Amino acid sequence: MPTVASHSTPPRAMPWSIVARAVLSLALCLYFSAVVLAPLAGPPPASELANWLIQPFRPFIGGLYLGHGYRFFAPDPGPGHSIRWSMQLTDGSPLNGVLPNPTSDWPRLLYHRRFMVSEKIAAFVPLSDAPEAIRTKARLDWQPLVKGVAGHLLKKHGGTQITLTLVEHFLPAPEDVLRSRQEPDLLTPLGTYAIAADRSP
Amino acid sequence: MSLPPPNTGSTICAELISGPWPLESSPLVSHSWAALWLHAWNAFWFAPTDPLPLGLVRIATGLLLAWSSTVWLLDTSAFFGTGGWLPAENVWRMNDQPWQWSLYFPFSSESAVFWVTLITLLAAVLLTIGLATPLAAVVALVGFISASNRAPLNVFGFDDVLGMLLIGLVVGPAGAACSVDSQLWRGRGWRLSSAATLAIRLIQVHLCVIYFFSGCGKLLGATWWEGTALWGAIANLQYRTLDLMWLAGHPLVVNVLTLTTLFWEVLYPVLIWPRLTRRLVLAMAVMVHMGIGLSMGMMEFGLVMLVANMAFMPASVCRKLLCLPVKVYPAIP
Repeated sequence: MPTVASHSTPPRAMPWSIVARAVLSLALCLYFSAVVLAPLAGPPPASELANWLIQPFRPFIGGLYLGHGYRFFAPDPGPGHSIRWSMQLTDGSPLNGVLPNPTSDWPRLLYHRRFMVSEKIAAFVPLSDAPEAIRTKARLDWQPLVKGVAGHLLKKHGGTQITLTLVEHFLPAPEDVLRSRQEPDLLTPLGTYAIAADRSP
Repeated sequence: MSLPPPNTGSTICAELISGPWPLESSPLVSHSWAALWLHAWNAFWFAPTDPLPLGLVRIATGLLLAWSSTVWLLDTSAFFGTGGWLPAENVWRMNDQPWQWSLYFPFSSESAVFWVTLITLLAAVLLTIGLATPLAAVVALVGFISASNRAPLNVFGFDDVLGMLLIGLVVGPAGAACSVDSQLWRGRGWRLSSAATLAIRLIQVHLCVIYFFSGCGKLLGATWWEGTALWGAIANLQYRTLDLMWLAGHPLVVNVLTLTTLFWEVLYPVLIWPRLTRRLVLAMAVMVHMGIGLSMGMMEFGLVMLVANMAFMPASVCRKLLCLPVKVYPAIP
């Protein structure tokens, strides 16, 4: 077999000039500064220093899609969320659905892409027993997102009005499973939306 | 049979810093501390290496991007269109505008979003086979970033890691090995390359950053310290594809799995570099990520993490695994 690995004899000169290596080294330092600052200044808790340092890097981080916190299943894996919706069609008949739909959202990557809609909206929505001031303030953040989801579903299914509810699914502890105990899911109303006269919900 | 003498600390250190560049042959060396650092930096980032691992990462990344683009194509108007899940005017609520640009902002009609996605898919296919690779890599990265920045409601960890891999493929000679390009232009062999080293190091170091922050993020959570965090993933019906609820009766097993995952992730950036521990760390990566893929239905996420881990496979191992009868020529000085 003509396998030849000729790098057994080390070459004697670097292929790139010292100037090229210096420029690349500077670029590497800047690149990894951006890579590290994004999670440092990303999801809370984050330091004021990191938030200050990241400012000049924001165009670069945003432009290369590097702004991630990398907090996979952290700090604690929590309950799953879905959005139940109930729609009135143009002929007056009802239509119900759930986002994501594990039976029809296939392949699995499509399911996950739709699952992220409910998970990310849930991150903005406080529990229904939270203080009124917190719920009012949070509504300014989540309502435009929910409005977009409602508009999309109305357009897709040809509905006139839709009611959405965020479902936080019960996450059983091991002892709940051993005792076959099932608690109800937590429901948070997300509002009712209708097509306006200008056709936007 | 006599065993070779064990490596002493100084031997390992010399091996770490010298790489393929003998210290005594370097004109920069004066054996000062600063010179040693400079030499180690040069060897780490710029010493020419076999582009084979980068070629294999390219193939796997291209396949994952092709699959991701295919899934985007199943519902392009919902993901990127004007009447989609997240109208363009609301994207700023989810990401850092105006920096997170996207081709889907100017090209927002139903047909335009379809064509942008289709072009990304074609670029991914070209990247996979390694035809017009530099151009394909750039187009694939542009298409990928456009999709991720336009649909922040629909992206997750899979996309974070896929983007990191694509940047490495744009920087390095991704088509230098195992590609149509290499067959067409360079015959049945390829050259050692400093750009290949740079690209593979970008992926390696970035992957260490990912594991470091992922591990540190978990250290904020009580359930990771209590050893029960994996139960939270197992019992979550929205993720579950494999029923592991029987683990409810085996809390110590859940403890072991949770704590092993936690400490593996936190220590990854340290233990992946020494040869002595690298195989163990990579074997653990296979178990953790395939476990996530099979039990939580996140196979794409598991696979993309494994592809990133492939960057740590030495070229000699790749060559052995693939039985590649290929010549490797020295780099052009």
